[in-house]
Amino acid sequence: MSRENDGFVYHRGLLQAVLDVVYRVVNFFVRWDHLPTLLGSANLSVFRERLREHNLHHAGYGTAPPGWKTGNDRWRSADGSFNSLDHPRMGMAGARFGRNFPLPECVPDSGDNLLEPSPRVISQVLLARDTFIPATSLNLLAAAWIQFETHNWFSHGLPRPENAFKIPLEPGDTWPDPVDGCMQIRRTVPDNTPREPWLGATPTFCNINSHWWDAGQIYGSNRERQMEIRSKADGKIKVGDDGMLPPDPDHQGADLTGFNDNWWVGLSLLHNLFAREHNVICDGLKTRYPSWNDEELFQRARLINAALIAKIHTIEWTPGILGHPALDFGMHANWSGIPNRVLRAVLGKNSEAAYGIIGSPTDQHSAPYAMTEEFTAVYRLHPLIPDDVDLRRLDVAGVEHCKLVDMQGGASRKFMKSHGFVNLLYSFGTVHPGAIRLHNYPNFLRQFTKEGQPLLDMAAIDIMRDRERGVPRYNRFRELVGKKRVRTFEEITSIPGAAKKMRAIYKGDVDRVDLMVGLLAEDLPDGFGFSDTAFRIFILMASRRLKSDRFFTDDYRAEVYTDFGLDWVQNNGMKSVLLRHVPQLGPALEGVNNAFAPWNVLRS
Amino acid sequence: MALIITIPGLVRLAIVSDPDELRRVNDAAVVARPLSGRGGLFNRSVAAKLAVFRTPDGDIWPAFRDRHDPLRAEHQKDLEGVLSHIEPLLQRIAPEIAELSNYVGGGRLRRSLGVVVQQAVGRLFRPGYVASEESYEAARTLQAWLAAWPLRAWWIRYSGALQAALDRIEAVSERDMACAHATALAMENIVKSIELMRELALQGGNLAKIDPKDAMLRTLRAPAHVVREARDGDFVDLIRLRSRTLVLLAVETAHQQRASDPGSAFFAGSWNECPAHGLVPALLSKVWQVAKDQAQGGA
Repeated sequence: MSRENDGFVYHRGLLQAVLDVVYRVVNFFVRWDHLPTLLGSANLSVFRERLREHNLHHAGYGTAPPGWKTGNDRWRSADGSFNSLDHPRMGMAGARFGRNFPLPECVPDSGDNLLEPSPRVISQVLLARDTFIPATSLNLLAAAWIQFETHNWFSHGLPRPENAFKIPLEPGDTWPDPVDGCMQIRRTVPDNTPREPWLGATPTFCNINSHWWDAGQIYGSNRERQMEIRSKADGKIKVGDDGMLPPDPDHQGADLTGFNDNWWVGLSLLHNLFAREHNVICDGLKTRYPSWNDEELFQRARLINAALIAKIHTIEWTPGILGHPALDFGMHANWSGIPNRVLRAVLGKNSEAAYGIIGSPTDQHSAPYAMTEEFTAVYRLHPLIPDDVDLRRLDVAGVEHCKLVDMQGGASRKFMKSHGFVNLLYSFGTVHPGAIRLHNYPNFLRQFTKEGQPLLDMAAIDIMRDRERGVPRYNRFRELVGKKRVRTFEEITSIPGAAKKMRAIYKGDVDRVDLMVGLLAEDLPDGFGFSDTAFRIFILMASRRLKSDRFFTDDYRAEVYTDFGLDWVQNNGMKSVLLRHVPQLGPALEGVNNAFAPWNVLRS
Repeated sequence: MALIITIPGLVRLAIVSDPDELRRVNDAAVVARPLSGRGGLFNRSVAAKLAVFRTPDGDIWPAFRDRHDPLRAEHQKDLEGVLSHIEPLLQRIAPEIAELSNYVGGGRLRRSLGVVVQQAVGRLFRPGYVASEESYEAARTLQAWLAAWPLRAWWIRYSGALQAALDRIEAVSERDMACAHATALAMENIVKSIELMRELALQGGNLAKIDPKDAMLRTLRAPAHVVREARDGDFVDLIRLRSRTLVLLAVETAHQQRASDPGSAFFAGSWNECPAHGLVPALLSKVWQVAKDQAQGGA
């Protein structure tokens, strides 16, 4: 509607308008997840259109216009610039996060309200893990996967020490690193770029990674990093003699890859797996296009690998964690459309529903593409991480009990070496992650040592991050994604005792409940691994990552990907990737339909 | 005590007119300036009316900026600094003050009162400001837009009058948003004050009897209403504000209860204190003083 969204305007079609009214009536009586599969899936599509119209807000680019480089038209630039040829800054590394809500709704509380109630108390009373609650429909690779993916999409950068929040500690709190009776939490790296006057009171922050779904976690978000990870021969990624990624000389214990912050063995498994996949794709391309040079091979392989990762996320990981038939149907439709000839004939070639988002026309809807602060907020899924992991070996029965804290940070590579890539993959496939619920936040992360940082209570930090970035608290967040506000704590949760504890902490004011607390407390639809409220942002942004990206839409064609590349994406999935690079996993994966579901335990 | 009106789907409204309550509600953390339009059709229509007060590139008029907006605080401080040089500013608009004084003293104006006031106000911000019947008409259109019932509001918008008025006000203000606000919306309170002064002056020789400060206190008019929104539910004293309640601060009614305190018309001491809180009373006093001097000189 205004220049705020850089001129992007949402255009609603007649069919969408009619469906919107129909489903408003339907949802008055029946929730979407209680509808039959097809109707439920159509309901999700109506939600998505509503969200596309009302829940995309531009916060400015915050970056200087990038310079043109050869190949920007044909493949992904290292920093994500020129994905949109008309708006080259859109989604590039360093550009600001957008918003899912009108900017005046995204204003942090002022003064003392910002620290109320104490995030440390919330961490202790509502989040701390008493006993591990497993997510039994998933394996631990699913937990590693989402971190692998979020490292592709966003990072606010490493907080700096100046001007930290000081959270007063309650009497009896045994926090080991108090400063003047307070726990300190460093602030998010500020955005020091010039502010547009229309931003109002909304704070802005920059994403140091490219916003696009471009596998930037593997390939980096700038040209220098990209060149560091490349072997500079046949387009391949640098690997050691043992086939594993080499160490990063600047980051002890981490592999040399595109983005290796918060490194642990789970990430290393996936980075190694998809580095191998990249190199195999390069071999395939080289065979078919022997005249291509290193750059051409690398960039084409990157396009193919990134699309394969996006496909795995869309039709395997997502239905894995959100196990609802309507969603399963919807995610497959997102990728490849509904395979119905009549529907395709009626809706036409450009229809997302009929042919899928992939290959459909690019559309930014009502705002320039950017990851949003609200998206980062709903992806705070630390409860997925267990404190302890039972490791198995393919060749020997029995388990080895390990602490996850011993397989992260500086110890990661050593742990990988001592336990082996194959056995660790097998182990991750056979153990469960944590359920995304209250009282299930990993305790080692609540007292976590990270290089160059003070002692961290990640649970308290998660709470503060949403507050300082102006992400609305839970009840207003619900309202802004199109759900009713709740009036009582009991309406949020049926977890025994949780409502009472929340009432005490929030002094009876349900509007003050922090977003993350509400999301973790909320009762879930059947089969869901996280809350329906978080899912609303997901409905919007999961499609947007594809629909806004030229390389998944207008340029998802053989001239860009090659026929070999399109076939590769079409014919592969997580299971085939695993089996290609680790064929020993065959028996463990036999009969397993979704590689993120628990695998067969071969020797108990 | 505040008046709360809730009709589901239509309106969720709190009208606050007690001076102390008004101040506390205005300062409450849950009460914000930007309106979401949620809470009912009436809330939506009011939000839609205020949403137009933006420049073509999306910049927000200063009176509609949120409390925590760093630019608001910065602009407010800067403007207050400029408007605190009262004597030189009054000197700058001496011709307009003379016209207004003549009118207060019973004389006739060669142009409409609104134009004179608009020019006086505009020149406080921009020395070269030139008001005209057209610019004042634009201001009247914007005021009418805010007060209009739905059908008239629809007509004002769809006839193009609203956009034309915004364009004209912004053009004569040379894109100075504070000037635009003052010459389009805030000036009307001064027009009312001058009209009241004239009535006061023409009754039984009041011009000679009443001193300027007293005249100013009797005639100073505040905005009738200022709108806010309670984003989340909370209690402010005994007032229960449900989430998305449109809060109508009846500033003029509250001011009438504290007429001896001109600051109450300007939210003096609050985060949203009007930068002209010293200048407007001084301007009104000056108008009365000059009118008085003219009357005595004439006699």
